[in-house]
Amino acid sequence: MLKIIFGILGALALVVIILVSTIIASYNGLVGQSQNVDAKWAQVQTVYQRRADLIPNLVNTVAGAANFEKSTLTAITDARASVGRVQLDPSKAPADAAQLAQYQAAQSQISSALSRLLVVSENYPDLKSNTNFRDLQAQIEGTENRISVARQDFNTAVQSYNTSIRTFPAVLLAGMLGFSSKPYFQADAGSQAAPKVNFDFGAPANPSH
Amino acid sequence: MARKTWNGWVGVTIFFFVLCNLLGADIPPPAPGQFFVDYSKVIPVQVANQLNNKLTQFERDTSNQILVVVFSNLPFGASLDDYCQTVFRAWKPGQKDKNNGAVLFVFLKDRKMRIQTGLGLEGALPDITCKRIIADEIAPYFKKGQYAEGLTVGVDTMIAATRGEYKGTGRTKKSAQNEKTSNTQSVVVLIILIAIILLSRKFRGNSAFGNSSPGWYIGGGGGGGGGGGGRGGGDDGFSGGGGDSGGGGSSGNW
Repeated sequence: MLKIIFGILGALALVVIILVSTIIASYNGLVGQSQNVDAKWAQVQTVYQRRADLIPNLVNTVAGAANFEKSTLTAITDARASVGRVQLDPSKAPADAAQLAQYQAAQSQISSALSRLLVVSENYPDLKSNTNFRDLQAQIEGTENRISVARQDFNTAVQSYNTSIRTFPAVLLAGMLGFSSKPYFQADAGSQAAPKVNFDFGAPANPSH
Repeated sequence: MARKTWNGWVGVTIFFFVLCNLLGADIPPPAPGQFFVDYSKVIPVQVANQLNNKLTQFERDTSNQILVVVFSNLPFGASLDDYCQTVFRAWKPGQKDKNNGAVLFVFLKDRKMRIQTGLGLEGALPDITCKRIIADEIAPYFKKGQYAEGLTVGVDTMIAATRGEYKGTGRTKKSAQNEKTSNTQSVVVLIILIAIILLSRKFRGNSAFGNSSPGWYIGGGGGGGGGGGGRGGGDDGFSGGGGDSGGGGSSGNW
């Protein structure tokens, strides 16, 4: 009799131990994934900030060019200001899809304003031959590319995290432990043809693309 | 024996690479064994070897891994920046803890090039410097069709810009790796060979596959030795150290 009770208790203890260790392992895995998403988010914020920091310098350089279209410049400064209004925690990936979408919309406003400016600048020969402006172009171009890489990395991290919390056994615990799915960056509308900033050096006939 | 097998694998890899290209898949080519890779077959072998030696010595001196890759054209529909990023992440130039890799990509028929920098060389090769190298050093030669000269100048300026950023160990990642893995490799090769022999025996007489399979295997090796990126395929050269790039660098046309 006593033997049977001990047997049952032993089996129960074993089950509890297995359960607890599963929960711990699962929890630790989710924490790691979640922190990875936050790290990638921080990188996204860094590269967007890097672009924002280039704007005043760019605007000053361009404003110096003889009668440069003022509307293009105000579009950029307005877009930059509107990003400032969408405040997101730089150390933690956004949990709310609408919030991220709003942030993304504000940032893509800058992208299109910038690419518009760079297209318009093609009509100003003294600007094109300005070394300072060319350097700024190179930096903006590089930053746009870094943004696209950082966003892809962020989406990859989110995807891996979202998959984890929907996979057994984490799916049973994620809600309980306070892990919810995180939103992605959406592909920009018309991003296929999009503000890819590309420059031709001294190509005499510049096909419009 | 082991060399023939290795060539066989190169053959198989190149076969799949070509297949993927035909299917239009945006899959990067396999990592090369050399620092200078010419898929376009436009650059004279002598220049290629010279640049390759220079870049191999540069890794010994500084641990920086600078690659030059000449393609005929971009894969169909691929964007320059995205493709270069994909290839960089597949080949992983630069040491793991330093990310000190950089790749000069050239797409001859597209008349496009790009210097893609690893995270650890963004200080020595900022975007502005990359753009200057492309526009002021390389492009003038390329415009005249002097590709070998342009590439040589490009390599020299990239080396000049990144020398002194890190200290080398006096040897390349590949030579260090060769030593470590040569034993493991021969064991693996031996196992594969035995498996193939056993399998072909088992299937012999059963089907045409059994007889033709080993023949095709070695035949692939013959094709692989001649074609593809790895010129020479000596003991030393490039082996990706695990570096990463965050998309830094600059692109340009000529």
